Formats: sequence, C-alpha cells, structure tokens
Amino acid sequence: MTRADITDLIVEIIADIDDEADFDNLDPEKPLRDQLDLDSMDFLDIVMELRKRYKIQIPEEDYPQLATLNSCATYLEPMLKDV
Amino acid sequence: MHARFVVIGGGLSGLAAAVRLARFNENVLLLEQHSRVGGLNSYYYRNSRLIETGLHAITNYSERSQRHTPLNRLLRQLKIRREEVGIHQQLGSAVRFPQCTLRFSNDFGLLQEEIERCFGAQVDGFNRFVAHLDTINPFLATPFISARQVVSTYITDPLLVDMLLCPMCYYGSSIENDVDFHQYVILFRAIFQEGLFRPRATIREFLELLTDRFTAFGGTLRLKTGVKRIVTRNNAVAALELDNDEIITCEQVVSTIGLDETLRLLGETDHRPQRGQRLAFSESIFVVQAGVRQRVPDDTACLFFSAHHPFIYQRPTDAVDFRSGVISLPFNFNGLHGDRDTLEIRTTHLANYDLWREATTEPERYRRLKESSVKQSRQLAESLIGPFADLILFHDSFSPLTIERYTGKREGAIYGSPAKVKDGLIGYENLILAGTDQGYLGIIGALLSGVSMVNNHLLINHQPSPTRED
Ligand SMILES: Cc1cc2nc3c(=O)[nH]c(=O)nc-3n(C[C@H](O)[C@H](O)[C@H](O)COP(=O)(O)OP(=O)(O)OC[C@H]3O[C@@H](n4cnc5c(N)ncnc54)[C@H](O)[C@@H]3O)c2cc1C
Repeated sequence: MTRADITDLIVEIIADIDDEADFDNLDPEKPLRDQLDLDSMDFLDIVMELRKRYKIQIPEEDYPQLATLNSCATYLEPMLKDV
Repeated sequence: MHARFVVIGGGLSGLAAAVRLARFNENVLLLEQHSRVGGLNSYYYRNSRLIETGLHAITNYSERSQRHTPLNRLLRQLKIRREEVGIHQQLGSAVRFPQCTLRFSNDFGLLQEEIERCFGAQVDGFNRFVAHLDTINPFLATPFISARQVVSTYITDPLLVDMLLCPMCYYGSSIENDVDFHQYVILFRAIFQEGLFRPRATIREFLELLTDRFTAFGGTLRLKTGVKRIVTRNNAVAALELDNDEIITCEQVVSTIGLDETLRLLGETDHRPQRGQRLAFSESIFVVQAGVRQRVPDDTACLFFSAHHPFIYQRPTDAVDFRSGVISLPFNFNGLHGDRDTLEIRTTHLANYDLWREATTEPERYRRLKESSVKQSRQLAESLIGPFADLILFHDSFSPLTIERYTGKREGAIYGSPAKVKDGLIGYENLILAGTDQGYLGIIGALLSGVSMVNNHLLINHQPSPTRED
C-alpha cells in the first residue's frame, strides 16, 4: 500500500466506526482526535479493524503514533508494504 | 466443539461482550441457559401481552451531539445507531419522602431548583458536592468507600442525604443502607445529571438489535445451553462442560453469571469477607386500562419513595418491605404509548429471600404470599399516585425466587454480590468476569461492563513492541 492508500484506508475505517464523522477539510498534519472528536475507545476500534483486516498487532504504547493521518501512514507503511 | 472465545450468559453484559468480541474476532460463542436472551432484562407473555421483566427506564440519557457520554460511546462500540433504538426522554421523575418531594428531569437544573426550594440552607453544600463529583474518575478499581459518609461531609441535613441516596440504592446498590461511592458517582451522573429514557419499542426489539449485531458479525448464539462446570488446568480454563454433558474447549472465557455463580462452576467458594447480606427485590406489574393516564401523575416516570426517614435499605424482616420502593409509570416518556389501550404500572420493593423460600414449602402459601404482596403494594402505590384498582385488567409479580429461577442470580439478588470485582480478574489467566458482579449495574452499566472488560482484557494489546500475527 502507498501512503495515500493508507490514509484512504484510515478514513474509510473511521467512517465505518462513526457514520457522522465529517471528513471535509481534514488536515493530515493535525490530530484526528481533535478534528473528528474521537476518543480512546474509537482509537481502539481503528486498531482492531486494522488487526482484523491485515493481522497487524499494534501495542497500546504505539497508539500515539496513530495521532494524525500522516503519522498513521508513516507508522503503518512498513507493515502494509506487501498488502 | 471448540470455540476461541466463549461468553457465558446472554444477559445485557454478555450480549455486549459477545458483540465486541465478534466484531473483531472469529469463532465467538455465546451460551445462554434459557430459551431467550436478556437475563434480568428480558420479557415473557401473559394473556397474549408482552411483559418486560425489568426496564422501568434506561439511565444515561444524552443528546446525539455529546459524543463522549456513556450512551453514545456504547452505541458506537456496539455499532448501533440511535435511530435503531429510538430514544424517548422521561417527562420527569421524583424522590418522595413524607417531609418533601424533590422533582428531577433530564435537565439537572430542575433538581438544583428543587433543592433550593426545599433545602435552602444546603444549596452551597450541594453545589460543592456536585463540584467534587466532577473531579472523580469512578471507573478506577478502588476499594469500597461509603457514599453515605461522603455525601454527609457536604450535606448536613440527614433528610437530604437520604433523599439523594434512595434512588441510587434502588437503581444499583448491592449493599445495605449505603452505596459504594464510585458506584454512587456513576449513578448520580446516570440518573440525575444525564437522566432517563426508554427505547421506542420494548426490550425485545432492543435485545434483537444486540443479537442481530452479534450474529451479523459471525458470532454463534446457543440458547437453552447452560454451563455446568468450568474445567481448569494450571490456573487456566481448558473447557466448559454443558448441562447436556457436551464439552466445549476454548481459549478465552468471559463469565457474566455472577461471582459466586462462576466460582461454583469452578468448584470453589468465595472466601472473601462479605459486606452484609444479598439484597432481593419483589416486583408487581399491573396492566391497566389507558384511562389511568387521567388518574395518575402525567409528569412522573419513576417515583422513588420512602414512607419514613431515616431511609432503610436492607434485607427486611418481613417477606416484603412496603415502606420504600420505586413506582414506575413506563408511559410517562415523551411520545410513548400514546396509542395504547392498556398501560403498565410497576412497583418494586425490597424483599427477604429466606422468607419467600420458606413459603415455597407449600405452594398454596407461596401463592397467597404473592397475592397479598401484590395487594399491599397496589394499595401503597394508590396512596402515592392515585386510585387505579378499578382499571386493572390483570397483574403479575416476581418474587426473589422467580428471579433466581429465571436468571440463576443466587438468592434473587438483582445487584448480585455485595463485594465487587472491579478489574474483572478472579485468579484464572483466561477467565474474565463481567456484568453485575464486576460492578457496573443496570442496563447501561451491564452493557458498559461487557464492553469495557472485553476491551481492556481481550482486545487491547498491552504487550510492548509490534508483532505480526501468524
Ligand atoms: C425487575 C427488574 C427491574 C429492573 N429495572 C431496571 C431499569 O429500569 N433500568 C435499569 O437500568 N436496570 C434495571 N434492572 C437491572 C438490570 O436489568 C440489570 O442490572 C442488568 O440487566 C444485569 O445484566 P447482567 O448481564 O449483568 O446479568 P444477567 O441479566 O443476570 O445475565 C446473566 C445471564 O446468564 C445466564 N446464565 C446464568 N447461569 C448460566 C449458566 N450456568 N450457563 C449459561 N447461562 C447462564 C442467565 O440466564 C442470564 O441470562 C432491573 C432488574 C430487574 C430484575
């Protein structure tokens, strides 16, 4: 997956978790938490969805690395390079 | 048979746990001993009418826009949309003692005004108390603290202390004459600061939503499948033996049937010190003609009452203690039941399990006790909300024995063991306790317990360093 694929994937997963999320004007450099008003339980669901789809295990201590769309891409790129 | 994850008990906590597990995992099995899910909050039919076993009201009302409230979080976690539930707010509720009545609604300002009206001198203390509650994280696993003592340090009028305890006791205290302070904080927010609502339909449709979600995620539900024994090896669960002697091997188990009930399946008993006796309740249900609306208050969904102060919340010396309780008028919710020809009035009181048990030695005596309890409860309710006896089409009632028989809750104790296991850990590496004896009570509490125990113990990967499965 390319970085663009990964950010699309994250947006798709969030849209599935929260059907009211509004992705207009989403800044890939700014925290998803603030822009989409997500909480730790929502983040858990993003992580779980990634595990379910791609068998990626993300430990709790790495959750901060998923803070922004860009940081998601950076963190997940090596894990999803063969997908 | 083999299942990777097994949830024992299809009450609300078990359903929630099962939905969470199945959403992200394969091979999840939910076992329920009865022919129907729901546990304490299920339903049955009498005279061709669906009767809910519980559900006076659901706590934790919140607006859609408040994304981080327990209700909205739970719905997202369980992948249920608000429209699917249909959320109807209460028209108001009240706490009534002989000296005064405090009204409250889903607008916390009403309770504050009522306290100012009835307890002017306590307003400062009450506001400081509420400010203190805002600083508490009640979900930390902490040892028991007496809510009565904490409330009393802010509020000096013992009548107001009792009036602020009474609803919390009835809607979620497993201990006598008090509430665990953290449980109190949860309940205070749930009942007073957030408020009460009912779903558009009955508990049946709500349970169907949860079961449909579970099966749509690929989970397997087996009804009429009681667990008889939990087989362990080296401090871990290896298998479950069912009532029909079938063996299910498994990797992770969530038990929602209660602590003592789970220990019994493990062949153990609980040796920890108990905090008083188990509390049992009796509930009467009156199915009445819709004309009752003109007789009884139209602004009260739940009336928490005590005919005496000090308020007594303990195992009664008689079969039922009619001096306090809850009267539920499930039609006093915005936009509900307006088109119905018949409505329900329900009453709840504390009961003494042993005396009910004793009465069963003679079926006739048990029947008479049930009838006389219904009658006394009805008379008491009429004295508080107005006469409705002539409008009753039929009635039914549950004793602590009914509850024990249908849910397996020992001694019919709806709120379970007086001692709670807040972290859900009971000494086996792959066995988690959720539901009533984990400590979150009521419908929202049970759902929250199922969700949070699964999240914390079975979904979040607490191991450091990233790895790939398989
Ligand atoms: C009359 C009444 C009125 C109530 N009113 C309200 C209300 O208005 N609002 C509110 O919020 N709460 C209310 N409650 C409380 C609420 O219903 C409970 O707190 C909640 O439903 C508890 O859910 P649970 O999953 O923890 O336990 P349970 O519902 O007890 O679930 C346990 C399940 O496990 C099953 N089980 C037991 N043993 C086994 C076994 N060995 N093998 C397989 N399955 C087993 C049982 O059959 C049951 O289905 C009421 C309760 C009652 C009884």
